[in-house]
Amino acid sequence: MSALLDARNLGRTYRMRQGLFGRVLDIHAVDGVDLSVAPGETLGFVGESGSGKSTTGRMVLGLEPLDAGEVRFEGEPLPPTGSPAWRRQRTRMQMIFQDPLAALDRRLTIGVQVREPLDIHDIGAREERDERALSLLSLVGLSPVHAARYPHELSGGQRQRAVIARALATEPRLLVCDEPVSALDVSIQAQVVTLLQKLQDNLGIGMLFISHDLRVVRQISHRIAVIYLGRIVEEGTAEDLFQAPLHPYTQALVAASPEPGRGKIRRQPLQGDPPNPADRPSGCAFHPRCPVAEARCRDSLPSLTPVDGTRRVACHLVSRQ
Amino acid sequence: MLRFLSLRLGRAALTIVLVVTFAFVVLRLSGDPAMLIMGAEASPEAIAAFRASWGLDEPIWVQYFAYFGALAQGDLGMSMRDGRPALDMVLDRVPATLALTVPALLIKIGLGIPAGIYAALHRDSAIDRAVMVLAIAGFTVPSFVLSLLLVLLFAVKLGWLPSGGNQTLLHAVLPVLTLGIGGAAILARFTRSAMLEVLNQPYVRTASAKGVPWRRVVVGHVLPNAMIPTVTIIGFMVGNLIAGAVVVESVFSWPGIGRMLVTAVANRDLAVVQTILLLVAATMVAANLIVDLLYGVLDPRLRQAPAARGGH
Amino acid sequence: MKDTPISPDQMSESTEASHPAGSFRPSRPPVPLAVWLAGGWVVAMVLVALLADILAPYGITALDLRNRLAPPGTPGHWLGTDELGRDVLSRLIVSIRVSLLIAFGAAVLSAVLGTTLGFLAAHFRGVVEQIVLMLADFQAALPFLILALAVLAFFGNSLVLFVCLMGLLGWERYARIARGLALSSSGQGYAAAVRQLGASPARVYFRHILPNTASTLIVSMTIVFPEIILMESGLSFLGLGVQPPQTSLGSMVGYGREYLTTAPWIMLAPAITIILTTLAVSLLGDWLRDRLDPTLR
Repeated sequence: MSALLDARNLGRTYRMRQGLFGRVLDIHAVDGVDLSVAPGETLGFVGESGSGKSTTGRMVLGLEPLDAGEVRFEGEPLPPTGSPAWRRQRTRMQMIFQDPLAALDRRLTIGVQVREPLDIHDIGAREERDERALSLLSLVGLSPVHAARYPHELSGGQRQRAVIARALATEPRLLVCDEPVSALDVSIQAQVVTLLQKLQDNLGIGMLFISHDLRVVRQISHRIAVIYLGRIVEEGTAEDLFQAPLHPYTQALVAASPEPGRGKIRRQPLQGDPPNPADRPSGCAFHPRCPVAEARCRDSLPSLTPVDGTRRVACHLVSRQ
Repeated sequence: MLRFLSLRLGRAALTIVLVVTFAFVVLRLSGDPAMLIMGAEASPEAIAAFRASWGLDEPIWVQYFAYFGALAQGDLGMSMRDGRPALDMVLDRVPATLALTVPALLIKIGLGIPAGIYAALHRDSAIDRAVMVLAIAGFTVPSFVLSLLLVLLFAVKLGWLPSGGNQTLLHAVLPVLTLGIGGAAILARFTRSAMLEVLNQPYVRTASAKGVPWRRVVVGHVLPNAMIPTVTIIGFMVGNLIAGAVVVESVFSWPGIGRMLVTAVANRDLAVVQTILLLVAATMVAANLIVDLLYGVLDPRLRQAPAARGGH
Repeated sequence: MKDTPISPDQMSESTEASHPAGSFRPSRPPVPLAVWLAGGWVVAMVLVALLADILAPYGITALDLRNRLAPPGTPGHWLGTDELGRDVLSRLIVSIRVSLLIAFGAAVLSAVLGTTLGFLAAHFRGVVEQIVLMLADFQAALPFLILALAVLAFFGNSLVLFVCLMGLLGWERYARIARGLALSSSGQGYAAAVRQLGASPARVYFRHILPNTASTLIVSMTIVFPEIILMESGLSFLGLGVQPPQTSLGSMVGYGREYLTTAPWIMLAPAITIILTTLAVSLLGDWLRDRLDPTLR
């Protein structure tokens, strides 16, 4: 495999005690997820809140324990979380957070924080690190003036740029972006996405881009995986997925996201309750909301099966076609 | 509710075990417990009997459990000075201490809570400011200074009241006042801030905006909710009924537990100190337990979510 | 006592609006006079403690047998003398040094101990956390005076032991606060972000979490400090704290109590010093709390 990141059969289970007298319940937040990211490729990871997409993102970074499965990065399994080897590996894989204000230390200037990964990993001569921090800032479109500012003195978009600069400081090969623009103003979102896209083109970074917003994902992703209640329901190239979504859930998502130039196609809003991981339906988890569900969808879980070369779908009705 | 109860009971038991363990550990660390508990002048037979009954030749963990067993039977050792069982000596003193602390508690509650409520309802009035000043004084003037000032005024200058001893009822006035004033100030400050917090809750403002008579809002919503945190501090004061008068008893030569403790510490009469320590801990834990149960009654939501507070 | 509920999400950091560069800063109210006075008093006390050797006109044990029980205002003895003819002013000055030294040492000890245990609890969770919380419960369940008396009874008294003992006062409050703050900042936000950069736990705690929690911890310190002064002076008053020939504010009051009728000034001078000092620190603490950390009560 030439994949940068290769995750197989990931599983994460939370135990929850229900009510006073404690019926213990296992919640499968992530269940049997496979994904891989090649160098220079962006995999979009789409799902509603509670679908397990963020948990998956944290698992591939080793920030969250694996209850099942395996993550390989550059062909090697991840070292134990918190170990020196794991800490060193942070230079190779980095994360962009949803809320840049929370991700920054409000008592330190932007410059100090962008420089911090170099200090942590002792990269380069001390005197040159400030220089490097400034060049990172200019790389993400911030000026040297911002280096002396504190996080609360910047706008939301500027803060996210600073977080991106910090993540890029050690020249990582993989970037996991967890809802990187959803906390930003809509007008700023496109700028940041464009920035990420440009950086990826120039630096050849592999990217896992997690979002609930199909429009944003489409703009940046080469391939897209759709996740519903902890399981991938459809995966394919961005083009295929948008032109001809196969899974009923993907179809609903695509229909619900307006697209410039295509006009409003018939919107069929998702009916039924939003997914609740604590109360996972039997069989295909989507069946209570599925417009075309059949009896067997209630009983048996469809597996993710290849449809053609690049495409995989987990739906009884699609497999039959 | 059952779970809530057993959880609280478990915590209370755990605290008692910890206090006993603490007593056991410091006792072992500070020397031969037989000599320490029995006293240097105890007869060799008595020491041998003590060793046997407390199992001092056994391994340490056996001793540890034996220690619990002895305590459970009320065997807390002999006083080094009087040669009497420490437990009897201490229990003899309990009424004298309660004679000070119970009236003082009534003063604290009777004075402190109304003052705090009044101050909160008339915020920034002259009385509110006076209550705040007194409340700060109640915290910053230590009880030994307050008692000496009271003695200076009422006993030395005015000659109205005796300065020490316990012969008559009049002798109790100054110590009770000292304890009561300080506690009332603390309680007033606490009640005031609890009241203000509830008064600022949206539902209170909503209720008064909807035209519910202010009196009804205060009596029906504000007071019950403000009393919940106040109960905690009263519980602490109740738990302190045994231990709260150490300094005041010493100043006024009042023959209670506190003065006995100070004397015992000065003489290193360990059996007595240990007995008082356990008695105080037991009182404290019992009071905390009652407070927890009261919480459950006052605020049913706490039974399920211990962190929840506030609005409806 | 109950856990003080400090809800971490109320901390100010997350509520700051995203204003463009520094355009909005809330105007700060002027510092009230009482706070100035309190600050002045604290500074004066610290200076007195530092310069005690220069300021004290006499040694604390120097006897002036011709001037025994001299009232305040006597030339050469502006605050009077005691029954042995020792200068009250000199003893007061040295007492301030001793009491402040003990209180300061104990306050630092308690803050370091509590914060460290709180961070350890937050970092390791599980058994370590349970043990720390259990110890905190234990400490909160026993009146500190009783605990201190028991330790003094079992181990006797020395200045070092006494300072260490006072250093146990209030540690459980720092521990609870530090644990709460560490948990809230490591679950998400900057601490998780820095950990994710590959920083060692020591770096995360000391370079990021500690500075971010410092204001809360300092405010707690101003609350604990007066309690330590009161506890120290109370124990010394009872004759169980600082031992003669050394002197502290509390032991001076205890000594002066014997001469309440004939020479009240012996007791009044240190008593007033205790009251003003605790009052000043409490006022400063209240003001700091309002300024730095409105969520702490």
